[in-house]
Amino acid sequence: MQNAKDTFYEVLRARLVALNPYRTIVLRGVVRPGVLVEENELVSTVALPDCFRLQWSPAVTDADGNMTMVTTECVIEYETAGTAGNAGMDRGRVLAAMDGELLAAVNPLPRSTPKMNYAALASGGTATTMTTSVWWGELTFGKTAVKDDRLARTATMSVMSYQEAGEL
Amino acid sequence: MADLLTGDGAILQADAVLRAVGGRSVLLRMAAPAVAGGDAEQLGLATPEFQDVELAPAAFHSANSVAKLLVSASAVSAVVGSLAYDSAEVLFETAVGVVIDGVLYEIAGSVASQAMGEAYCYWLTLVPPVR
Repeated sequence: MQNAKDTFYEVLRARLVALNPYRTIVLRGVVRPGVLVEENELVSTVALPDCFRLQWSPAVTDADGNMTMVTTECVIEYETAGTAGNAGMDRGRVLAAMDGELLAAVNPLPRSTPKMNYAALASGGTATTMTTSVWWGELTFGKTAVKDDRLARTATMSVMSYQEAGEL
Repeated sequence: MADLLTGDGAILQADAVLRAVGGRSVLLRMAAPAVAGGDAEQLGLATPEFQDVELAPAAFHSANSVAKLLVSASAVSAVVGSLAYDSAEVLFETAVGVVIDGVLYEIAGSVASQAMGEAYCYWLTLVPPVR
């Protein structure tokens, strides 16, 4: 499932950057697109605002077919205090804009992409294309939550893939 | 003498008190800057390097599951300046943790004690590692 998770993150990041290249964060001194996978970053008690933070729930497998299908829920959290120039009074609009960006990134067809194996990047290599695909369902938005001066939202979606031979 | 009536005076007094009560040194563990455009780090395939920066004088208190660290503002501001952070709060938020006697504690929060608008020491709430 790790390859499916990595592939989905790469696709989501590319689509979000195409939609709004100005949504960036500074993480450990480097400017990067405003999306991250929490389990891939240093443990922190701070929830970064104005970016999409991905979490993965445990995988569920279905071994009825020729290949085992693995489904995992992707939980996407984001929050904003609005803009300082507007004293945060636009935080509802900013959150709605983030809703729109996320929806525009994941809902358009095709909701699938060839699965990639990025393991070689650890040793300076390049990603390789696998034989199956990763696909995902529709996005579900949670209620708006108030976190001090921030408005927060949690969106969820299912990400599926077939488990290829030798995959972890 | 005039310094004692300003924020700088409070910093000097805080340092003196911390040293008088046996102020010790601790290590603030920072992650090295990320690799720009580095997919390997963003996918959790590469581990950043770490650097430890000394903070002194400091006083450490631990009881049950609550650990507190009182650290001199002069030491903190020196690190903030040398590593080009915007503020002490950002420094603590981005630090990996504090190493005390070889144990890495996570920083759960920081509060500045101020005199005349200037911080003279910082209280850090630390979370011990889960064994």
